[in-house]
Amino acid sequence: MSWAAHDLEPYAIQRHFGRRVAIVPLLLGSYAPDMFSKWFVYGIEVFNIELKADDPVQFHRGWPGVGFTHSLAFGLLVAALILFVGRSRIWAFSFLLGHWAHVFTDVGDTIGTMLLFPFSTETIGIGAWAYAGQVGRELDAGAYFSGLGFVWDGVWVVYGLLSWRILKREYFRETIVAADPRFWGWLGRWLPEVALLALYRASFFYGTTRWVAWLIWAHVVHEFPFDLSWGGPGWIPAAHD
Amino acid sequence: MRELALYLAAAAAYITLGVAFPDLLWSWVEGTAFLLLAVWILPSVVRRLR
Repeated sequence: MSWAAHDLEPYAIQRHFGRRVAIVPLLLGSYAPDMFSKWFVYGIEVFNIELKADDPVQFHRGWPGVGFTHSLAFGLLVAALILFVGRSRIWAFSFLLGHWAHVFTDVGDTIGTMLLFPFSTETIGIGAWAYAGQVGRELDAGAYFSGLGFVWDGVWVVYGLLSWRILKREYFRETIVAADPRFWGWLGRWLPEVALLALYRASFFYGTTRWVAWLIWAHVVHEFPFDLSWGGPGWIPAAHD
Repeated sequence: MRELALYLAAAAAYITLGVAFPDLLWSWVEGTAFLLLAVWILPSVVRRLR
C-alpha cells in the first residue's frame, strides 16, 4: 500500500494527458481500490466493539476478500459501467488510468496485487517495501515512512512540486475545466472559483502535507529507524504472500 | 503571491496539527475541509469583517 502516491499520481497523469483526461474520475479511480476497505484492514471501534478483518492481508489483497478491487479487470469493469451508464468516454478512460496507477503502485510492496484476477488469484509484487497493514495503522505508518515506500511517494512529491504550473489558476481554467466542463460548471453553480481551485488542489495538498507530517511524526516525534533495504524496514514483521 | 502565502500557511498549519494529532492525517475529507476553511472560508469571513 502507498500513503501519498495515490493522492499525487493523478496530477502526474493529468500533466501528461492534458485535456484528454478529467481530474475527478482520475482521483476517484486512484482512491477506488481502498475506498471502502481500508478502515476494515486497520479496524475501527464503534460503541466499544472493534470491527476489524480477521485476516487483514487476506481481506485487503486476497481472494476470498476484496483483493479483486486491486485487479486490472476491476478497473476495466467500473470504467465500462461509467461508459455505458454515464455515457462519458473521458470519465471512463480517466477512471481506468487512475485505478491502474493505484494497482501498479501497490505491486511495489511485499504482498502485491491480484493483477490478473479473475484468471488468477496469485498476487504479483516486487517486494520493495514491507506490507504491514496487519500490525495496525500507527506502526504501519512508522514502517512505511522508514522504508522504500516513503521514497517512492517522495518521487511523486518532488515530481508534483516540479510540475507546479499544473496547480495554477490558468491551468485550472484552460485544461481542468475545459476537459470536464459539465462537472465543474455544475459545481460552479454553488461555489466560487476560489473554492473550486481549492478542491482541485486538495489531493495534492493532502498527499504532500501528510507525507511531510508522517515523516516528522515517525522520525522526530518517534524514533522509528530508517531501513531503505529492499523489502524493509527489517524491524517490522512484513506480510508476504 | 497572497494566494500562495495562504496555501503555504495552510500547509504549515496542517503539518503541525497532523504531527501533534496524527488522527487528523487519516481522512481526505478532513484534509480537504481544512484546506477549504483555510484558503476560502476564513479569508472570506475576514474580508467581510473589515
